[in-house]
This record gives sequence, structure tokens and C-alpha cells, in this order.
Amino acid sequence: MTQALISQILIGVSVTAILVISAIGLAVIFGVAGVINMAHGQFIMVGAYTAAVIGKMGGNTFVAIPVSFVVVALLGLAVERGVIRWIYDRPLETLLATWGVGIILEVVMKLIFGPELYYVGAPKVLAGSVHLVGRLPYPYYRLFLIVVAILMVAATFYLIFRTDFGLKVRAVRRNRAMSGCLGIDTAKIDMMIFMFGSGLAGIAGAVLAPIKSVSTTMGFRYAVDSYMTIVLGGVGNLWGVPTGGGLIGEGETLLAYKFNSVIGELLVFIFIVIAIRVFPRGIFGYQERR
Amino acid sequence: MLLLGAAVVAVIGGFPVVAGTDSYILLLLGKFLCYAIFALSIDLIWGFTGILSLGQAVYFGIGAYFVALSLKINYALDHPTRYGNKFPDFMEWNGLKALPHFMEPLVSTPFAVACALIVPTALAFIFGVITFKRHIYGVYCAVITLAESLILQEFIIEYQAYTGGFNGITDYSNYLGIPFLWFMLAVTIAFFLIARVLTHSRIGTVLKSIRDNDLRAQFMGYNVANYRIFVFCVSAFMSAAAGAMYAAWVGIISYLDTGPVFSVEGVIWTAVGGRATLIGPFLGAFLVKGLEFLLSGVLAAFWQLLVGLLFIFVVLVMPDGIVGSIAHWLRRHRKGTLTQLREEQDLLAHDREHDWQPAGVPRSGEESV
Amino acid sequence: MTMRRRKFLKSSAATLGAWTLGGTAPYYFMRNIAKAAEGDTIKVGILHSLSGTIAIIETSLHNAELLAIEEINAKGGVLGKKIQPIVEDPQSVVQVFAEKAKKLLLEDKVAAVLGCYTSASRQSVLPIFEQYNGVLLYPTLYEAQECSKNCFYTGAVPNQQLDDFVPWIINTLKRKKFYMVGSNYIYPKETNREVKALLEKHGGQNVGEEYAPLGHTEFSTIINNISGSGAEVVFSDLVGDSIVAFYKQFKQFGFTADDLPICTPITTEQEIAAMGPENAEGHYTSFNYFQSVDSPENKSFVERYKAKYGKDAVTNAVMEAAYFQTYFLAHAIEKVKSTEADALIYEGLPGQEFQAPQGKVKIDEQNHHTWLWARIGKANPQGQFDVVWKSENWIRPQPWVPYLYPDKTCNFTDQRVKERLSKPWSVEKNRSGTINL
Repeated sequence: MTQALISQILIGVSVTAILVISAIGLAVIFGVAGVINMAHGQFIMVGAYTAAVIGKMGGNTFVAIPVSFVVVALLGLAVERGVIRWIYDRPLETLLATWGVGIILEVVMKLIFGPELYYVGAPKVLAGSVHLVGRLPYPYYRLFLIVVAILMVAATFYLIFRTDFGLKVRAVRRNRAMSGCLGIDTAKIDMMIFMFGSGLAGIAGAVLAPIKSVSTTMGFRYAVDSYMTIVLGGVGNLWGVPTGGGLIGEGETLLAYKFNSVIGELLVFIFIVIAIRVFPRGIFGYQERR
Repeated sequence: MLLLGAAVVAVIGGFPVVAGTDSYILLLLGKFLCYAIFALSIDLIWGFTGILSLGQAVYFGIGAYFVALSLKINYALDHPTRYGNKFPDFMEWNGLKALPHFMEPLVSTPFAVACALIVPTALAFIFGVITFKRHIYGVYCAVITLAESLILQEFIIEYQAYTGGFNGITDYSNYLGIPFLWFMLAVTIAFFLIARVLTHSRIGTVLKSIRDNDLRAQFMGYNVANYRIFVFCVSAFMSAAAGAMYAAWVGIISYLDTGPVFSVEGVIWTAVGGRATLIGPFLGAFLVKGLEFLLSGVLAAFWQLLVGLLFIFVVLVMPDGIVGSIAHWLRRHRKGTLTQLREEQDLLAHDREHDWQPAGVPRSGEESV
Repeated sequence: MTMRRRKFLKSSAATLGAWTLGGTAPYYFMRNIAKAAEGDTIKVGILHSLSGTIAIIETSLHNAELLAIEEINAKGGVLGKKIQPIVEDPQSVVQVFAEKAKKLLLEDKVAAVLGCYTSASRQSVLPIFEQYNGVLLYPTLYEAQECSKNCFYTGAVPNQQLDDFVPWIINTLKRKKFYMVGSNYIYPKETNREVKALLEKHGGQNVGEEYAPLGHTEFSTIINNISGSGAEVVFSDLVGDSIVAFYKQFKQFGFTADDLPICTPITTEQEIAAMGPENAEGHYTSFNYFQSVDSPENKSFVERYKAKYGKDAVTNAVMEAAYFQTYFLAHAIEKVKSTEADALIYEGLPGQEFQAPQGKVKIDEQNHHTWLWARIGKANPQGQFDVVWKSENWIRPQPWVPYLYPDKTCNFTDQRVKERLSKPWSVEKNRSGTINL
């Protein structure tokens, strides 16, 4: 019993990692540019298909990660330049416009790749599993996902808090008008951050494809999970992503163990809706300085 | 104009008399009326008050499910199911042996209709109080309502013994026919008039001021939260009524009728037709759904592409929708002189600056509350 | 005051005018186009989702049916006329299935409809086919407990998939403890009910049963539960995306087919291609048809399919049913020299035989289901199935599972049934059901 529970908690860690991986791109964009990217799930999907193409050409996940980052970042650039930059001041409408982008991406990918499920394999190095504690052996690939999640969060932190670019981003985030007056090109910052966030979504697609299924309609579920994660964790503070992810990931796996998968998901959703009403801006909500 | 309006009502009302009741266009006509009411309800909260709900389908769906359940239970009483029992077949294959006791009141259809209207409105009231009293609005409100919508979907799928689950509820005697079409037409007109009165009264003006700048509205002494809750409930009521009629008319409903995709569709009908206008949602619903019906077969996958482009086009190029754009154009031509035109444009530009301010997302220092 | 009222009336009238004209005018236009296109063709409706979540599988059914129609037309068509497919896209939404079915029957006046995949979509269109007396040919394996005068089921029912499979697992694989995993909707729930009855009958044991939401792709918890249950075999009726994610994660958590095989009545070559053969190797599927079936008809079918849809295309059992049901329809129309629904339902289709890729198949005269062959396949490293067991003869379909519903049968040839069915539907309506005599 305890052995099974330990396994379950460990599984929860990997589920948390998956949530963090899929949500971090969205959190960066939402936190800085104030745009809810409803096409986030489809960005992940494009990343996964990029990995599939790389796989067909003989590359593995390690090759796919940078390629997917670049491909989806460029896609993000196109979307930002073509659509979003006109409507930064109307966040509710970016929601609709990016929803439209999502639909278009799904159709275009289906026209290119066909409607059937696509194959993406895991690299041979990460194929086996290792026996840690608990009842179940732990797959190497899930350990790899945990590492990727930590690296993605660390890279984002480094970029925002330790670089010149990050300083500007934080300035724009605090006070857009004043930053503009001080000579920061706020439009360019928005663009760069949108590209970066999109690229992270691309990585998510590339690393998640080998344990999940790849189809043109896969995006929606990831998008939903990502919204829940960042809304629960709160925007504006990057700690919100791992916190939200941890609560949802562990909560869902433990509840699924206690009851079943469906009820687990249901209870977690209900918990989120209640939690948001207690902490309207998420657990790590951004407190504006007066 | 009045004649034209009467003529149109006559066209819809008279259509089945001419074409017969077996036409599938009759089916579509009734469906579109329900969609139009749904879009109108979204217009009330989004167009006039500035609340974007991605969970409006929750109220539509609950209304629809109450009516469908009641009709299904009654149908099963008269026509034994394929298993030979007198309760709905989806209960049988989920292992129930009889109609559960808490569902017995639904045998009475009037009671079910009352539930279909009251329960969603009450739910909207509760959600409204805990959302708006806590100052959740803007993007957050959109995401929370999205979550609520997903919860309801999961709930319906999980408790399939009582809801039909993934398969939805079908195979019951629906009200497809001339009298019910007329009834729906009457309800549509009534809702249109209610919305008209509401938006052109003092309340409507307050709502618009809340949409444009809720902070100022609050300073003026209006209780912003209460106004939002009120309009949210009215809107939920309309959605629920549309859902109830939809279930009775179409004869098949499923969890998709409660989902976020349907809500977003409603938003886009409103946006295409023209938000903050009363004609817009009707025009939008009929146009988009009508085109979808005509073209989705011919264009197959490309239809979805067209829908995606439509989203972007409406947001970028025509934020006021068809009706709004025509109204602007007319106004411009009536005004005539150049100075007047310029004044008008200045006003519009001014509006644009303050319209649709990012609410809920702190973007700049001046927004700190 | 009067001014305001007049303005009010004006704008209201304008509103109603605008949306009705905008909404209804195009239909009349379209109807005329449709009429103009009528010529010397036989119209057949094709109703498979080409968009939405189920398009993943339904597109291949659509393709198989178009291939068959093309072949039939190349050989001169039916009754000297070409078959004209009327393709509709129901977008994976049950309401749209119902709406499009109605359009096909009432506006296009098709001779028959080939369509649907999920049970949900079939149940949504059946009332319409019964109300307007249309003909539906349905290619999917399904959970049974249903028959309808207007529907011909060319996919397998449980007695053609499970009745031999479950005892085979118990006796040949020598594995008695079953853990059941399914997607959360009617097909897996009904199937598992039948499997449990079979387990009781053949001395197996049910050690666990779990359902995941449709489209669920995180199976670690379920795998943890399986590992603690002492199961000797996993019986899966997951569908779609979930299959791929489950097999992949099952292997990643260190389970091999030798320790714990997955047995399933639904995983096809298509899903194996998507998960990679290395994740499926050694697991078992029970089906009527595999791409590897060794018959001249199948070789030529696979060749023609690949020639039309690309060399990477794989065929599967549901597609094969979609393919041969198109021939059933063509031959039935040929036989009765008519496209009238009643002629097809009472004379044309029942008893129709065809040399299909899986072997000779036949529509049962009495219950409108199809005589099929049963096979058990073991997935091999090439992503195909090695057939490890095959039924000695074709198997008669039993739409009511006898060990759950011993008193139920369907027989549409019974004279009393015919009499009752000949009455108008408003008088004698027993929708999507068996006649209870």
C-alpha cells in the first residue's frame, strides 16, 4: 500500500513536470505581454509534428528540441507581427483572434500531414526504466522530462532576472508608458517575448510527443491544462507555474489513485474554480506596487 | 420598415406552411432561432457590458438537458426501449434497474421546463456573486468560465447513467412542427424586445458605462458588481430558454452543447454580426451557421480554415461587425460636412482608446487598484 | 414619445428583415443547383467526419468507400448508371450527424447512406432513418444489443470477436486474471459487461476495471493500479489517442508483452503505426480482418488502396467493412433493380454475399448483421499482425448477446414483424429496437 503510494507520488512529480513544460510558454506570454494565447495548444501540436518530421529524417528528440524551438518561435513571430501587435490593447479580442489562429493551424497541419495519428519515438538512450523506490520502476524518459522542466524554468528565470533583456522586460511589465519614455522599444520586447514563449511551446511539443499521441487535434487538451496551471498559480510570478503545476499534477494523480481518472480530473477542476475565487489572481498573484 | 419586418416574420412563420413540415430547412430554421437567442444573450453581457464569458453554453446546456431528460423519460414510458424497459436506455446499459427517485419529478414536463429556466438563472446568480463581488473580470473571468464549462462537460460524461454521457440524449419525441416554430418565433421576438428595452433604458446606459470604464462608473456611485450580476442572470435566462427550446426542437443533445467551443462560436456570431447592436447577433448567427451548412459539405476541411480566417478578420478589420460597420458608414454619409466627419472620427478614436481596456491584467502602473 | 416608438419599430423591423433574408435566401439557390445536377446517376450518401476528433479514423472509412465506388463505376456502374457519392462532413458532432442524415434523405434523396463510426453517431441518426425510411450501412464493430430495420451492420458484434477470444486467452495463453481498461463511454462499458459474463462462464477472474476520459493520454496511475492488481492480462478497450499513449507508457514503465500482454478487440494497424511497432510487439488483437490476411482478394485490395492513397497507407478491419459494404449496396441495387428503401431492406440487402478481403461474408437474412470470420492477431515487429488463430467457419452474428439477454432476438423476416412494420410509423413506432412479439 505504502509502496504503491510512493510510486503514485513519484508519478505525480512527472505529471507536474509535463504540466510545467506545457504551461511555461503560455505563462511567459500572458505574464509579460498580457495576451492569452488560445492557440497555445496548437503551437505545442506544431512542435510535436516538427519532432515527427525530424524523427522521419533520422533525428531524435535531442535534435528535435532546438529545431522545434526555432520553428515554433518563427511561427510565433509570424502570428505576433501579423495579428497580435494590432490588438495588444484589447486583450479580450486577442483571445478570439488567437482562437482563430488555432483553428487555422489545425486545418493547415491536417492538409499537410493528413488526419491520422503520427508516430514519434523516444530516443534509444532513454528507453528503459530504473527501479527507484516504490512499486513501479521509473521510466528514464520521465526522469528526462523532470530535468527538461527544471531546465526550462531555470532558463526562463535566467532570461528574465539575470540578463539585460530581462531587465527591460520587467520594466515594460511594470510600467509600459514609462519604459517607452526611457527609450525601451516596448513593441520589440513584446515581440521577442512572444517568440520566446512560442518557442517554449515548441519544445513542449517535441519532448511530450514520445510519451503521448500526436494528432492535429491534440492541442486542445494541453491548452486547457496550461490555462488551469497558470490561472491557479497566478500570472506575473514565474513561481506560479511550478506551484500550479504541482498542485494540479499531484492532486490529479493522487485523486485518480483514490477514486478514478475521471473523478480525479473533475475534483481538480472544481478545486481550481474555488481556489481562483479565493485568490482571484492566483496563488502567486501579481501585486501591483502602489 | 415595419412592413418589411412583418414580412420577414411572415416568411419564417409561413415557410413550413408552404414547404411542408418534412423539410430539413425547417429543422435548420428552428435551430438558427435558438442560436440567435444564444448569441443575443452573449451580446448582452459581452457587447453591452464587457464581460467575456466562454462558459455561456453552460446555461444553454443545462436548460437543454432538463428538457431532453424529461422528454426522454416520458418517451420511454410510452415506448419500451430496445431492452424492453420503461426507462431511458442509457440508464439500462449503465446498470440502473429503474428510474432513479430524484429524477421522478422530471416526468412532469412543465416542472422540467421550470427547472430548465430557473436552475441556470440561479446558478448564474451564484457564479455572478462570487465572481463579480470579488472583482474578477476581463481575461480571468473568461478563463474561469471556460473552466466551469469544462467541469460541466466532465460531469456529464462521468455520470452517464443519468445524462447519457458521451452519446448524449437522443431518440425521444421532439416538437418539430409548425406550432412550435411559431412559438419559438414569438419567444425570439419577445427576447429581442426585452433586450431592446433593457439596453435603451437607464440600466443600459449604466451597463455601457461599466463596459467603457468601470472605475468611473463606480465613482459615479453605481454598484458595478450588482449591475453585472443582474445582466449576467438575464443573459443566462435567455441562454437557458434557447437551450430548452433547442432540445425540444432538434431531438438530440450532447455534452458538446455545454462546452467552450460552442460558447466561442456564439461569441463569434455576435462579433461577426456586430456587438453592442441588437441586430448583430441575429444576423451573425444566421449568416455564419447558414454559410457553414451550405459550404461545409462542399469545402470540407477548407471550411474550418475559413472560420479561422473569419475570427481574425473580424477582430482586426471589422471589430464592429457587419451591422456596426454599416451603421458607421450610414452615419458618415448622413452627416455630410467634413468638419462633422472629423469630429465624429475624433470621438471614435477617443472611444477606441478607452474601449476594451485590459481588465484584470495589470499592464501599466496607472491601472493599479 | 411617438417618435421614439416609431424609430423603435423601424429598427426592430429592419433587424428581423435582415437576418431572415440573409439566412434563408441561399438555401433556395442551393436547392436549385442540386436539382440541376441530377442526371443518370445513383446517389449514395457518405457520412463520415472529415474534421474534428474522430476524423483520425473516419477519414480512412470515407477513403475506402470512395475507392469501392470508383471501382464499381469503372466496371460500368450499377444498372447502367454511375454511382454518385454525396459527401457530407458531420464534423465529429452528433447533432450534425443527425442534421446531415436528414439532408441526405430529404434533399438529396439518396438511395442509401454509408456512414457513421461511433455508437453515439449511429444512435443519433437511427431515429431519422427510421422516421423517413432510409437505408444506413454501418461498418464499425460495436457493442450490440441493437437492431433496426433500416440499418445494416457490417462490422463485428461481440460474438464474432469476444466469444472465442476470451476462452482463447484463458486456455491457450493460460492467463486467468483480467484487468480491464476502457474509455469512458458506451462501447467499452457494454463490451466489458460482456467480457465479465464470459469470464464467469470460462473460469476467468476480473481483478480490476478502470475507465479513462476520452482522449486521455496520461496512464501512469492506471499502470500503477494494474501493477498492484496481480493481473495476468490487460484487456483494453481504449479508443483513439488513448490507445497510442497507453501502449507507449505501458512499455516505458517496464512491462513487456511476455509478462503482461494487452489483449484488445479494437487496436488496429493504424494505431500501431502511430505508436511505433516496438511498443505494440507481442500484444494481441481480435479482429475479423488484418492487413496481413493471406488471400488474393486482400492482396489486391491492399495494393489498390495503396495505389490510391500512398504507399504508407495501412488498411484495417473497419475500413475493410466500409469497402465491402459499398459492394453489398451496389449488388443489392443490381438485384432488385430499384433504389427504393423497402426493396433494398426486404429483398436487396438481406442474404447478399460478397468475396471480401477477409473471406466470404454475408448479410444475415433475419437480423441485418453480417456473417464474418474471427481471427486473433499477434503484433509483430513490422507493425503487422501474425494471425495466430482463425475461426474454422464464418460466424453468424448475434445482435443480442445470448448470455446477457437470452430471450431477445431480431428477425425481420418473421411474417408478424413484416405486418407490424408495414403500418405507418406514427402508429407503430418502436425505434432502434427489436420487435417484442
